[in-house]
Amino acid sequence: MLRISNLHASVDGKRILRGIDLDVEAGTVHAVMGPNGSGKSTLAAVLAGRDGYSVDAGSVTFRGQDLLDMDPEIRAREGLFLAFQYPVEIPGVSMMYFLREAVNSIRRYRGLTELAAGDFIRLARQKIKPLGIDPGMLKRAVNEGFSGGEKKRCEVFQMSVLEPCLGILDETDSGLDIDALKVVSEGVNGLRGPDRAFVVITHYQRLLRYIVPDYVHVLANGRIAQSGDRTLALDLERHGYRWIEERSTALAAAGA
Amino acid sequence: MAAVMQHASAYLERFSSLQAGRDSEPNWLRERRELAMERFLRMGVPTPRDEEYKYTDLRALSDGRFLLSPDEPGGHARPAHLAGQRIAAACGDSLAVAGPAPPGIRVMSLSEALVRGEPRLEDRLASIASIERHALCALNTALFEDGVVIVAEAGADSREPLHLEFGPGRVARLARVLIIAERSSRVTVVETYSGLGEYWRNAVTEIHVSENARVDHVRAQLESPQAFHTGVVQAGQERDSRMSSFSLSFGARVARNDIGTRLDGTGCDCSLDGLYAVRGHQLVDHHTGIDHAMPHCHSHQLYKGVLDGNARGVFNGKIFVRRDAQKTDAVQSNKNLLLSDSAEVNTKPQLEIDANDVRCTHGATIGQLDADAAFYLRSRGIGEAEARKLLTYAFATDALARVGVASLRERFEGLLLDRFAPEAA
Ligand SMILES: Nc1ncnc2c1ncn2[C@@H]1O[C@H](COP(=O)(O)OP(=O)(O)OP(=O)(O)O)[C@@H](O)[C@H]1O
Ligand SMILES: [Mg+2]
Repeated sequence: MLRISNLHASVDGKRILRGIDLDVEAGTVHAVMGPNGSGKSTLAAVLAGRDGYSVDAGSVTFRGQDLLDMDPEIRAREGLFLAFQYPVEIPGVSMMYFLREAVNSIRRYRGLTELAAGDFIRLARQKIKPLGIDPGMLKRAVNEGFSGGEKKRCEVFQMSVLEPCLGILDETDSGLDIDALKVVSEGVNGLRGPDRAFVVITHYQRLLRYIVPDYVHVLANGRIAQSGDRTLALDLERHGYRWIEERSTALAAAGA
Repeated sequence: MAAVMQHASAYLERFSSLQAGRDSEPNWLRERRELAMERFLRMGVPTPRDEEYKYTDLRALSDGRFLLSPDEPGGHARPAHLAGQRIAAACGDSLAVAGPAPPGIRVMSLSEALVRGEPRLEDRLASIASIERHALCALNTALFEDGVVIVAEAGADSREPLHLEFGPGRVARLARVLIIAERSSRVTVVETYSGLGEYWRNAVTEIHVSENARVDHVRAQLESPQAFHTGVVQAGQERDSRMSSFSLSFGARVARNDIGTRLDGTGCDCSLDGLYAVRGHQLVDHHTGIDHAMPHCHSHQLYKGVLDGNARGVFNGKIFVRRDAQKTDAVQSNKNLLLSDSAEVNTKPQLEIDANDVRCTHGATIGQLDADAAFYLRSRGIGEAEARKLLTYAFATDALARVGVASLRERFEGLLLDRFAPEAA
């Protein structure tokens, strides 16, 4: 579904991603962990097509197409979804209007008929319920004045409405209490299936008890320094990142 | 008559021929017109040397041809109808009042009101808006041929907007409106300005809000992209009265609006709000003036602007707080959204405060579309043009919310969205 090869990217001349290789097959969940500043959000941003990042080398294919060549909205319409680490507040645009516009933009792209207002409201209400979000939120401006936890839940709500093939969750668990974490995890698990894949960026093994990953990767200094199965997350919880960072610095030195 | 300005003869000629045919006009008006003409000829069409017109170049108007020509090249398209009851329309060389007016409201053409000897006309007409301060108001006073008078009788309550439509043509180019709200009455008036081709409209609206009365005034400037629009709206408020003004300015090549109110009694409330959205080489200039002459009055101003292309915006907000006007509460805000790198805004609050126990706040901002917000929208599948449109709309929404009449607000929202629709971008 997603194939990242030797991806190098920089911001303002600062090299952040230094050769990422990652294969994400349909039906799998990949956890990406790693210390602060290691480049996790940068990877997510480059995949989603945010401005301001320059890709210096490497390639990314998504469902057989060159992902890096697409505008952000095309990536979304092709089935990529990024749950933001810091969702953006947009005063003056209601959640309802925004999400309907998103759904219909995607539907138009795929040659489907647009959802009428009534049908959309039914869909939204049906998806919002399991996430424990007050439906009154739909009338509010996008993310405006939402608490941290509400914003994160709302990202998952959007994902469940848009039903992407690939969901990238950037620290969607940070700042959630244990009940919210369960609810959000169930939301994600409900979407799991043979045709979908997830990249779950997190600092906490706690999340991975609920969203059980097939693979765990550790990003350090802009590279994947270690990959393994879910037991790697437990090792990290116990021993921290230090040993991996040391290894990756040594590797970088050897490689250079 | 001491005429010192250039091109005086063209104006004088028109004035003399009009005065000659005004035998039936009452003396007081003939005299006011004489005085106004004199003022105008002394001051002339403002130039950028005048501090008040620093950014707004009206020199193309000085010879008067866009105003005085018998007809305009664009022809006579039907004026735009927005919402509410069309009560009067000016088009070509005539003005028609269409009845029936709501209970307690009298609507008539100015010429008819003069013939009928409408009481209080002498007190109000050409006495609220200042010919001393506004040369172009003086010009309108000297030359207007007809206009609309709306009187809300004491206690009348009319919330459905009365719609005055000013299309093309000689009469409408010098649009003149007088609104008198008698004690404890309420009336809502919408003026629309639209046309085709190149012309100059120079409009004046005077509003008198008597004790405890309320006037909601909306002005939609939707002139042709080649037009010049200059307009004065001036209100005078008695105690405990309320008045709101909303100025929508989307059209014209150059538009200049002077909108003001004088709070002449205690306990008055006024809001002067507006939205301008311009692109290409359009220039839109709003000068507002609130004169807090008496204590315990509130004023509120919110002007928002969206500027694309090489468009230019000017906002100047004057607030005077006189010595007696203790406990004044005045809020002013002007916010601008620049959609292109070459659009420009000059915004300036101008506060003169002579009282000491007052609260006056003002703020002005000029910003661009929020790139993070645009990316967030696009990351959900919303196209770039659509995202821009949505954010532009979101920016303007609190200004539009100041339009009390829902049907009108929706029309304005539609006009705004069309204006920045992907096709137009
Ligand atoms: N616009 C920018 N200009 C300069 N440096 C940047 C910019 N954006 C990110 N960086 C730097 O890139 C590095 C990687 O940042 P990134 O946000 O990808 O880290 P992260 O792994 O997501 O960290 P965290 O766990 O704290 O979220 C950091 O050192 C950060 O300071
Ligand atoms: Mg991050």
